[in-house]
Amino acid sequence: MTDREILKLYREGGRQEAFRLLVQNYKERLYWHIRRMVLDHDDADDCLQNTFVKAWTSLDRFRGDAQLFTWLYRIATNESLTFLSRQQTRGGRLELDAASRLSSDPWFDGDQLQATLHRVIAKLPPKQKAVFLLRYFEEMPYEQIAQVLETSEGALKASYHHAYEKVKAWMKEEMDVKY
Amino acid sequence: MNEPIDDLLSRRRDAEQPFRVPEGYFDALEDRVMARIAMEEAPETGRRRVWTVIKPALALAATFALIFGMGYGVLSLTQTLKRGNGTPEAPGYATTVEEWITPASLINYYEMDAQPVEEEIDEETLVNYLASELSFTQLAEIYAQANLK
Repeated sequence: MTDREILKLYREGGRQEAFRLLVQNYKERLYWHIRRMVLDHDDADDCLQNTFVKAWTSLDRFRGDAQLFTWLYRIATNESLTFLSRQQTRGGRLELDAASRLSSDPWFDGDQLQATLHRVIAKLPPKQKAVFLLRYFEEMPYEQIAQVLETSEGALKASYHHAYEKVKAWMKEEMDVKY
Repeated sequence: MNEPIDDLLSRRRDAEQPFRVPEGYFDALEDRVMARIAMEEAPETGRRRVWTVIKPALALAATFALIFGMGYGVLSLTQTLKRGNGTPEAPGYATTVEEWITPASLINYYEMDAQPVEEEIDEETLVNYLASELSFTQLAEIYAQANLK
């Protein structure tokens, strides 16, 4: 079912059914986006559920001037950023701890190099990290990232470039030490 | 590990997803999300609902009471100072005895001091008192006025 059909169903009274379809359509994409942001499965699950609860409470105000998936990505990204900043205020960047625990995480199957890459990405400032993940892993066009993060495309391109250079330099450092 | 870092980064992007989820996680997700939404939308208990409704009204009433109390306090203080009971620096403070003792305050003072006459005065005492205090002419005038009424 397309987004338009889901919204039509929602507005015609089939709210629960429409929302269930919306969750079905977007659950995996949103989960993987959030998971790359927060790294831990349980944290990702919490953020994903919060994202859908917020979407449910504000779907009747969705005007349709953005695509449904950009709107959902915006909620999911904000939820992840809020989670990360909460962790930061509780003392330190816990996603860095989560990143350093990746190799022993039962829900992480990557090799040493993938663990290193995610550990390095976790060192980026949260908003820059969101730009990097959306562009690097999801290959989302800048135009859509701009809608998700409500930033100009020019600023995003610069931000991604800086993030990529930092990741490259940190990866090189890590690999020089390890290999 | 001589592979250029750019090639490595581009290869890693296409690599298989390294994260895993517990088995059946996505299958049960819709039900869990809908259950959570139903839980959050469940009506609140009666007592909590009443408190939720009353709380803002109480806060508003308390604010008004506080503002009214403060306003009343300031006005009372201002009135007290204006009446001259304040310090010498305050406006309205009487600087001389003449200013302090007004006709009204004198009348109040004597009225306060006047004791009611409780013992009976007989006619003879009254006549003797009038005869000693007033002249014959004054007595005649009083008599004439009394008879005219």
